[in-house]
Amino acid sequence: MSDAPQPQAVFRRLLTYARPHTGMFLTSFAILAGLFVCQLSRPWILKSGIDGPIRGAEAARDLAGDGFDATPWLAELGWWAAGYLVVVILGALLQAVQLRHITRTGQGVIHDLRTELFGHIQSLDVAWSDSIPTGALVTRVTSDIENLSELFTSGLVVLAFDVLKIVVVLGLLYSVSVPLAFVVTVLIPLLVIASILFRGGARRAHGIVRERLSTLNGYLQEVLSGIRVVTMFGREERVSQTFAGHLGSYFQANLRTIFLFAVFFPTIGFLTVMIEGAILWRGADALSTGALSFGEFLMFWLWVGMLLGPIRELGERYNVLQSAFASAERVFQILDERALVTTESDDSKSVPPFRGHVRFENVSFAYGEDDVVKNVSFEIPPGKTVALVGATGSGKSTLVQLLLRFYDPREGRVTIDGVDLRERDALAWRDHLGVVLQDDFLFSEPLRDNLTLGRDSVTDKTLSDALRVSTASELIQRLEGGLDTVVAERGVTLSVGERELISIARALAGNPRLVVFDEATASVDSETEARIEEATHRLFAERSALVVAHRLSTVRRADIILVMHKGELRESGDHESLLRAGGLYAKLYALQFADLD
Amino acid sequence: MTYSPPPPIVKALLPFVRRFLAHKFHLVFGIAAVPLMAVCDIWITVKIAGAIDRLEGSGDTSFVPNFLAGLFALAVGHSIFRFFQRWLIVGVSRRFERDLKQELFDRLIRLSFRFHDKSRSGDVVTRLTSDIENIRITLGPGTLMYVLNAMVIVPGSLWVLMQIAPLLTFCMVVPLLGVTLVIKTMARRLHRLSTDVQERQSDLGHRAQESFGGMRVVKAYGLGARESQAFSQLSLASAAASVEMAKARGVMQALINLAHNLAFLPILFVGGIAMIDRTIEAGELFTFVDLANKAFWPVIALGWMAGLVPRAIASAERVQTLIDERSEIEEAASPVRRDELDGSLDLERVSFRYPGAARRAVDNVSVKVRAGETLGIVGPTGSGKSTLLALVGRLYEADGTIKLDEWPLREIAFETLRRSIAYVPQDGFLFSASYRENLLFGSAEPVEDDVLLELVRQAGLAEEVSEFPDGLDQVIGERGVTLSGGQRQRSCIARALAADPRILILDDALSAVDTETETLLVGNLERAGRGRTVLVAAHRLGTVRHADEILVLEEGRVAARGTHDELLERSPWYRRTWDHQRMVEKLSGELEEL
Repeated sequence: MSDAPQPQAVFRRLLTYARPHTGMFLTSFAILAGLFVCQLSRPWILKSGIDGPIRGAEAARDLAGDGFDATPWLAELGWWAAGYLVVVILGALLQAVQLRHITRTGQGVIHDLRTELFGHIQSLDVAWSDSIPTGALVTRVTSDIENLSELFTSGLVVLAFDVLKIVVVLGLLYSVSVPLAFVVTVLIPLLVIASILFRGGARRAHGIVRERLSTLNGYLQEVLSGIRVVTMFGREERVSQTFAGHLGSYFQANLRTIFLFAVFFPTIGFLTVMIEGAILWRGADALSTGALSFGEFLMFWLWVGMLLGPIRELGERYNVLQSAFASAERVFQILDERALVTTESDDSKSVPPFRGHVRFENVSFAYGEDDVVKNVSFEIPPGKTVALVGATGSGKSTLVQLLLRFYDPREGRVTIDGVDLRERDALAWRDHLGVVLQDDFLFSEPLRDNLTLGRDSVTDKTLSDALRVSTASELIQRLEGGLDTVVAERGVTLSVGERELISIARALAGNPRLVVFDEATASVDSETEARIEEATHRLFAERSALVVAHRLSTVRRADIILVMHKGELRESGDHESLLRAGGLYAKLYALQFADLD
Repeated sequence: MTYSPPPPIVKALLPFVRRFLAHKFHLVFGIAAVPLMAVCDIWITVKIAGAIDRLEGSGDTSFVPNFLAGLFALAVGHSIFRFFQRWLIVGVSRRFERDLKQELFDRLIRLSFRFHDKSRSGDVVTRLTSDIENIRITLGPGTLMYVLNAMVIVPGSLWVLMQIAPLLTFCMVVPLLGVTLVIKTMARRLHRLSTDVQERQSDLGHRAQESFGGMRVVKAYGLGARESQAFSQLSLASAAASVEMAKARGVMQALINLAHNLAFLPILFVGGIAMIDRTIEAGELFTFVDLANKAFWPVIALGWMAGLVPRAIASAERVQTLIDERSEIEEAASPVRRDELDGSLDLERVSFRYPGAARRAVDNVSVKVRAGETLGIVGPTGSGKSTLLALVGRLYEADGTIKLDEWPLREIAFETLRRSIAYVPQDGFLFSASYRENLLFGSAEPVEDDVLLELVRQAGLAEEVSEFPDGLDQVIGERGVTLSGGQRQRSCIARALAADPRILILDDALSAVDTETETLLVGNLERAGRGRTVLVAAHRLGTVRHADEILVLEEGRVAARGTHDELLERSPWYRRTWDHQRMVEKLSGELEEL
């Protein structure tokens, strides 16, 4: 906890998100206040009814004897009862809207924060998102934000109100009877202490239970995934014993929790009866002399009851606050990250139409310590196809990423028509590219949306042209839903080859000047393979292209082949001449492109 | 006589009730504590009411010390019973959970692979977690604590109140009953809404997962704004679902409180009239107020419980299907048991088809392996190599006959069969446990550390293991040292050797090991495997090169068989694959050196 930023600072920053919703928060307070007044007035009405008409009638009857007429007293009692009914119904109405309103308020804040966080993560560098597991990022925008929503609903507002309730009720108790109220004030801290001690213990105990449950489930999952090994070795008895061990310690942790609760509830109950006993003890004289009427006593009794709830809840609310603050810190940490590859630059927000002349000038780049690209220079003349060839880890993909400006070079520069890429707006720059990445990602959306990607430049016409040219239209006709088919998670309804074909069509639809293509390595059936080759060929026609080549047809057709090895550019030239030279390329060619069958 | 089936609630939950009843001792005392506690609770109210009556306007306070002592004693009694009620009843429910989980686990691990192939481990974990939890809550604390408590305190309170003023009691009960019904219906609606909230949240999670996971595509196509837009829509939907849920919860809370507060209306009005008429005393009015408070929440709990029962029934049915699941591979009635087998194998026209598959995964394979010989199995991906090995381990029941020594597999005791076989899986599966535990997993008897270390050395892992901070006690997996694919595979080999089997089965067990290490390992394995029967499936032909016989499988059938040299002549596929693999090896080596 010591290394955490100041809670006040976190809190203040959280408040800035609440500020736009001030009106909503104020209404929430007003509703809560109205509800509170209704709750407080019920005991008062009961008291007024008892001490007024009921006791009045009793006294009048004693005076009047047999000729007593109860009608006026009954009428007054009727009015009090009516008043009670009104207050109760009003209270119910307020309560019915209270939770919804406060949730709407909280969710409003949460929505703002969540979308800001999501947008911010989108704007950060690829290098940054590579360094954090996707799961952790997802947790930030889901669970952590949910934790905060607790803070803005049951946390802050209700906590503030609980404290207010305790103060106001105590004040009212003093207004009825100072000695009685004093006895309550003295005993209440016992309840507070018990509640806080318990909540702390319960939180730890629950933590242990959760931990052991996840160990237990983890083991179960592990055994199920290794069930072949378990069965083959006939080790059922043994894993059963291990499971029993995990189960036993989970059970023990549960027993501890049960014990805590089993002690806590009776303790609170006992303290409550003790408070009640103390009230009777201190109130005995006043009640017996009539200094304290029965009505007042009853009102006092009911108000004390209203005090207990919020006090019991204090510990719980504190827990909510704590976990919300921890989440807030994690969220703010991300919001404080800044992108190094700036997506915007002042001088040129958009990239003018370009010829597609790319030049890498003495480019070096390192993800960590060691350069993975070393002093590489080459150019892609307008309309030409440049293929990158090399073993895994030779630096091919890094060159592609530099051209996409996922990263900026450590040394040297990449220029487009003579202008340093760093001076371009990254978003606008990528707008001009057609990109096909390896195992390309499709979204769980209709195919049409996956193809257009919401780009203004893609019309129905360009889309259908692209589908035709890429021959993907035949594939789509085979699908039952056509373009409206929803692609399942990570595109599993389509094979790798089909996905690549869709990606090519997607790139074609934008009619880009420059194509960046990372070919898939997975083997594809020969029919799809032929289609992909044809589509690739058409995509490259009259466009500048940089392609990480894994296909024979690609290297054969490329205007220039660059052979990368261990981060360096070793050879370049066309297929025939490189093959004749019998160097590195010839070896790689035999290894990667010469087909087994 | 007509047979009437039991209602679903009984049918579904009865087997689980029986499991609860197994814990008689705790249960009897836990249940006994419930009425005792309720009696104390009511008694406290009656006692306070009596004191108020004696005090009011009388001037007599002499009895107060005695009264307080009595109150104290009742409070202590109440607390003690309350403690035991919770401790014993919730305790029993957790014992029930423990026993049921163990029972299911023991059943699960003995189910056949037909079951494991089709079920997802996530679903099974859900059944073992949330379904059992639903049953536990409903039968345990739900029924035994809340329902039972309500069954005692509500009639008890009503009885006390009836003694005082029957009409007033009746007026109070009506709103109470109404609200119970409302809650029962609302509980279901709330459950549906809360599922909805969770679904909306998981939608958000999915979208974020996709967006962040596909960050490169998102960036390459400048889709940030589009993604943010889509996420914002989902975020709004999620917020709306939460608000919808809050709305329903708010209404329910309001209704509950309304019913509660309305109970005081007859107390004020009817009770007031009765007081004016002198039919009841102030203290008796107090009894009404206090017992209305005390009996109210148990009634609410009753309605809430009733709403949860359908969920528990659904869970019970799901768990029951798992309990009823049976493996179709069973041990023979009087199986063959042997301490030691020779380890010869005879496969005669062995075939197998996975349920729902179009063609046979293994098709009419016959082969004899003499004890101590090595059989290599090669072929393209999906040719049936792994399935054939699984059939030898009787993970599935094969058509045709597989004989181990002179007995068909079906007649051999599981124990004898499994002890004769050690298996090295393709995926290098190890447990997240200590390295020693992993190595010893398959061995029936304890193995000395130096023997283990020798096996580790044979598996080519001596260097790695010597670098473990905790030596053989090193925990591996997520919470310890992470091993590479090749290291895991080699560890599995050491584990198999530690079991000292007659038959060693290697299922493409060296695929993640580099060629150089493989050559070394194959040599070691040949020495270690001497005297054992070895079945080895492999992608790389180098692995099976020295086998006594090699089967080339294609689409489940034996396409060719013979020794390495024979196959180079006979099988074009073998020849081509061999040349290609040799060339790749050579070129990779050369490239590495550049």
